[in-house]
Amino acid sequence: MAKTENGVRIFQGLLILGNVVIGMCGIALTAECIYFVSDPHGLYPLLEATENDDIYAAAWIGIFVGFALLALSILGIIAVIKSNRTLLLVYIILMLITFAFEMASCITAATHRDFLTPNLFLKQMLERYQKPDAGNNNDKWMSEGVTKTWDKLMLQNQCCGVQGPSDWQEYTSAFRMTHSDADFPWPHNCCVLDSRGSPINLDGCKLGVPGFYKSNGCYAAISGPMNRQAWGVAWFGFAILCWTFFVLLGTMFYWSRIEY
Amino acid sequence: GPRHPGAGTMLPLLILLLAAAHGLRESVTYEPTLAQGDLGGRITGSTFVLEQPRCAFNNSTIQTTTSIWLVVADAAASVSFTNSVQPGMPEWAFQSFPANTSAYLTLNATLLNYPCPKDPKEITVLRVGSETSCAKETSRPTCNGPLPSPGTYKVKFLALNGFEPVAETKWSKPIELKTARQPPSGPGAGGKHSADMIAITSILSILLAVLLAGLVATLAFCGSDPCGRGGIFKPEVASVRRYTTHHVYDQTVGGL
Repeated sequence: MAKTENGVRIFQGLLILGNVVIGMCGIALTAECIYFVSDPHGLYPLLEATENDDIYAAAWIGIFVGFALLALSILGIIAVIKSNRTLLLVYIILMLITFAFEMASCITAATHRDFLTPNLFLKQMLERYQKPDAGNNNDKWMSEGVTKTWDKLMLQNQCCGVQGPSDWQEYTSAFRMTHSDADFPWPHNCCVLDSRGSPINLDGCKLGVPGFYKSNGCYAAISGPMNRQAWGVAWFGFAILCWTFFVLLGTMFYWSRIEY
Repeated sequence: GPRHPGAGTMLPLLILLLAAAHGLRESVTYEPTLAQGDLGGRITGSTFVLEQPRCAFNNSTIQTTTSIWLVVADAAASVSFTNSVQPGMPEWAFQSFPANTSAYLTLNATLLNYPCPKDPKEITVLRVGSETSCAKETSRPTCNGPLPSPGTYKVKFLALNGFEPVAETKWSKPIELKTARQPPSGPGAGGKHSADMIAITSILSILLAVLLAGLVATLAFCGSDPCGRGGIFKPEVASVRRYTTHHVYDQTVGGL
């Protein structure tokens, strides 16, 4: 009998430990997703203009799932200590619902990551950057967002275009409609600017002399944060769910062997 | 026999006439080229960048007051210069190109603008097509305006004394400008799923399925009564049992 009781105690201890880990991971998930939703790199307008911001939806779901995991883990610890069948059943069912939501968040984040290709941002930049007033309010809002974001990107990351300034030469664009090729082979924000925001050498910039214009592309500055967000939500969520799987299996086994 | 009296004077006279007809125009061996070096804007949709003709007219006899013009022409056209080339006239005006003329003159300079030898550290270039302000002004026929189409062009440098051509370089190789194409179509969404996404989806689906199956099985078999022959987990019951064992043991010892 003592051996059985020791076994019970150990099993309870394991379940409690499992729930403690779930609770802490829930807090971490909430914190991580709040960080992503706060958009520290200011890239959200680019996603808004693609009319598909799934990685942000996945991060929002992550915030609430994190809270749910914390609450449920506390419920789980209480239920295991009391060995109450009803409480444990409630815990299992609510955990399964949370599991399903977090699964949706992970899959959404991973799927949307595949959508974010260089061509997507190139097409968007060419079609929307400095697009003259189109009339439609929503369209105008998105174009302004894209223009502001690109200006900020080019200034902060010392880059131009998606793959480089040649993007502005190789493709037609809304920018080209209002700015002549001879005066603006690429936008003036692609030039190296002085502290007041004007090009240090406009002729050198138009000629494309290294040192007077920015020859790097901005794709790395866009895809880096977005990849981190997508993978952060998807893989961390996946890890939490794998751990939760084992805790839930253990809890179901424990539940099946206690009396009312 | 006696030589014809006029033969001696006719030959020099012929040479003189021929010389007058061609204006003593010199053909320099220099060929204009696009700018060397790492320049991102060497060729754009309406401009291109040439090397300056440094040391091109080295061995020629032109003076420092001679005007050196750039002739820009359609690559397929044949352009010839008569004795008199007037850069201001419509047949050489930028605004008439390419509809009414096959070449135009621009970028007037002198030998002093192109000192020889050239400092190797300097970027010595000429940007053809940089003046947008005068592109439509017929009062500025020598405007260095943006080229109207990406079509192939050729250039040469022509030295004029007043209106008289005195030297010219060779034609450059044909120069073709950039043609912009449409932005790339569809981002390829939905066509390509990465291995990561497939792994996450499939593994999580399996896990959820196992959990649901486990829950259904547990409810079905162990719903009303607890399962398992081994210990029935009820910590209060276990401690009562231990107490009972102790009590029996004490009694047995006491009984002896």
